Amino acid sequence: MAKIEIIDNGILIATLRGELDNHKANQIRSDISAAIFTGQVRAVIWDLEGLGFMDSAGIGLVLGRMRDLSPSGGETLILNPSATMKKIFGFSGLGENIRYCTIEEAIGEIGGVVHEQ
Amino acid sequence: MNNEMTLSFVAIEENEALARMAMTCFITPLDPTIEEISEFKTIVSEAVTNAILHGYENDGKSLVKIHAKIDDHTVSMTVSDEGAGIDDLARAMEPMYTSKPHMERSGMGFTIMESFSDSLSVESVIGSGTVVKFEKKFSPITETSRMR
Repeated sequence: MAKIEIIDNGILIATLRGELDNHKANQIRSDISAAIFTGQVRAVIWDLEGLGFMDSAGIGLVLGRMRDLSPSGGETLILNPSATMKKIFGFSGLGENIRYCTIEEAIGEIGGVVHEQ
Repeated sequence: MNNEMTLSFVAIEENEALARMAMTCFITPLDPTIEEISEFKTIVSEAVTNAILHGYENDGKSLVKIHAKIDDHTVSMTVSDEGAGIDDLARAMEPMYTSKPHMERSGMGFTIMESFSDSLSVESVIGSGTVVKFEKKFSPITETSRMR
């Protein structure tokens, strides 16, 4: 299950639940991509607090959306992954995108960074 | 505790979840920690996804086979297919290498399997299939350490 929401200032929040594998990633990829391309999205926050499981398909999904965002130089934050997911993201160099905080704090961080540009 | 099982299913993506669920049930008597379960599930998921996608191209009819054994606190498992096989195994096992970049495969499957298991070996013959074998040890732990 994925809930996709674009808030006022162009930040897309993808809230993932259940299990994210290759099969599930294939189901939600186009929805998130379409939202990025149509919604003038400048940053994506992946809220993984309620996600029960993720394998390497999660890396592909997040890296793919980072590519979608790259023309606009958009930022990506990965929120509250489990210990195992943190390791998986770390293997592929996404460790620095991980935050353990609330959605509001993550929005604040992105807002601040973009404001400075 | 000792136990042994086999499971086979057709190569469709939906069965990635079936394999994870079945294998999680199989190891439950070992009383694993949350992190042990989730690392084990990840290895299973990567190996089975490889067999379904790369071995059989998601063909919906060929069978992926799992054999698993519990010997005391060690789980030994093989995931095998009789599908396409892997052309250059050394290259396939390099981090970030994928033969399917268009499908957004990250190329991290073998890296993850190696990291989360205690030993991993892969045998593959072009046109005959691939066998992934791994072992994972589960630590017997006390109730107090489980509470952390």
